[in-house]
Amino acid sequence: MGMQGDFLQLLKEQGYTLGAPTAAGTGHALTNATTILAFKYRDGVLVAGDRRATAGNMVMYDRTDKVLEIDRHSVMAIAGVPATAYEMVRVLEHSFKYYRRTQLQELSFDGKLRAVSKLLKENVPAALAGTGAVVPVFAGYDLEQGSAKIYFYDILGAEFEGVEYAVSGSGSPTIRGILHYLNTWGEQPLNALPQEQAMVQALRLLASAAEFDSATGGVNREAGLYPVVKLITGAGVQTVPDATLKPLYESQVVRYV
Amino acid sequence: MYEEPYRWVEAVGNRRQYLDDQFKQGSPVVVLTYEGGILLTTVSKGTPKLYEIYDRLALGGMGHPTDLEKLRFSLLEMAHVEGFNRSPSDVTGSRLVKYGIAPVIKQAFEEVYKAPFIVRILVAELGQKPEKDALLTINYDGTFEEVTGLAVLAATTAIQAKMLTYLKEQQPVTLSLEQALNLGLRAWAIGSMAQQQAEADQEAEAKPAATGAGSLAPAIPSNDTLIAHVRSLGGERTIECAVLDRQAPGTSKYRSLKQAELSQLLPKALQSVVAD
Repeated sequence: MGMQGDFLQLLKEQGYTLGAPTAAGTGHALTNATTILAFKYRDGVLVAGDRRATAGNMVMYDRTDKVLEIDRHSVMAIAGVPATAYEMVRVLEHSFKYYRRTQLQELSFDGKLRAVSKLLKENVPAALAGTGAVVPVFAGYDLEQGSAKIYFYDILGAEFEGVEYAVSGSGSPTIRGILHYLNTWGEQPLNALPQEQAMVQALRLLASAAEFDSATGGVNREAGLYPVVKLITGAGVQTVPDATLKPLYESQVVRYV
Repeated sequence: MYEEPYRWVEAVGNRRQYLDDQFKQGSPVVVLTYEGGILLTTVSKGTPKLYEIYDRLALGGMGHPTDLEKLRFSLLEMAHVEGFNRSPSDVTGSRLVKYGIAPVIKQAFEEVYKAPFIVRILVAELGQKPEKDALLTINYDGTFEEVTGLAVLAATTAIQAKMLTYLKEQQPVTLSLEQALNLGLRAWAIGSMAQQQAEADQEAEAKPAATGAGSLAPAIPSNDTLIAHVRSLGGERTIECAVLDRQAPGTSKYRSLKQAELSQLLPKALQSVVAD
């Protein structure tokens, strides 16, 4: 089986299962308390997420990174149960590396998407039981086609291409409308925004989500806490440092709030 | 019939002779540390001989391509499962070799009614610090050796010793990548020429092949001669070169040098070989 370069299959042969099914229908509400967003801008794709992790109405942690780098050219932003999501990212990270090293070529972008779908499908029992639902946004730069791509998924593993933007999490209804408005009637469509403007829009969108959704963390300036913003271009994934976000936030977000 | 101890020893002896014969035409592999990491180089014919195994592990091999593939897959499987179940920093070359493939190779070698692995393998590991860099070689009988700084694979141990002596004499304290590649290819040429010489000697039956070391040219060829030797083979073979680069972004440190980068690093006399 190793000859096919399928790492998940290899793990299964060793007795591994993702999202072991628990007693179904225990009645937990699906948890997806967060806001993540991705949109295409001039140079590639921007993916951002707030940093709050909650359990019910309790704030558990304020420094979560929900935009996880899978390889040099793709990231998965997660809404849902973090334990399952982190595990999925670990499986994907190893799967892509394993494929590249065994088959001596990169896994195609479509192949990567399929791998995400497959993992979500494996996870359906846990998702339905309410203990492991994950609703990710997968974004990356397809080097072969030279273009940025965004996909979003439902908890059952169906994959949808987000043409210009995608959102997920409890704060997403608020900003979905804003994104539609901006992209349709804004001064310029999202995919024409230069890098700095794209970062400003991302900060404003997350601030809007935090305004109306208690589970989405806003900016905490005293603690120097800013959202996670990642840019993916042909050159790879780049995490925007807080030092860059701080002046942008102060000069172009604060005065409008 | 192999149940009799004498027969078994005899069979293993024959097997050694058979295996030694298989490497005569093989291409040597040279691995040396340079200022930015570890360089692996060879001049291969047909199938590649340098591979990525894990974030900080690279593989070089000599021998039968199918056997090398089989062992490469076992290494990849072990490394990735371990890296997933524990953590990437728990994947070490020494564990993969000592508890992973060396016992498998030894067993195949000693089960005289089954086919042995026709391979010599070199695993290079980039440490977190330069002093933790490790190089491991495994012979077809499962014997492994852990060294630092320099390691080579060649047809016979005598030729390997000759290449190592050359490298030790020529190697300055620190090498740039360009210098390392130049030196690596010269050492490769030393090995390749010695192998050709040993074969010619054997054909002429001027001297017994087993003591091939004595028949090798006594004087060390000049740099130009060595580079010219690599160049002369340029038509039928390709220069293969990979690095474990300490400065590489991300977790994967392995990089195979592509034509554009190679032609910048190679000595002038060889640049045309790559461009062709």
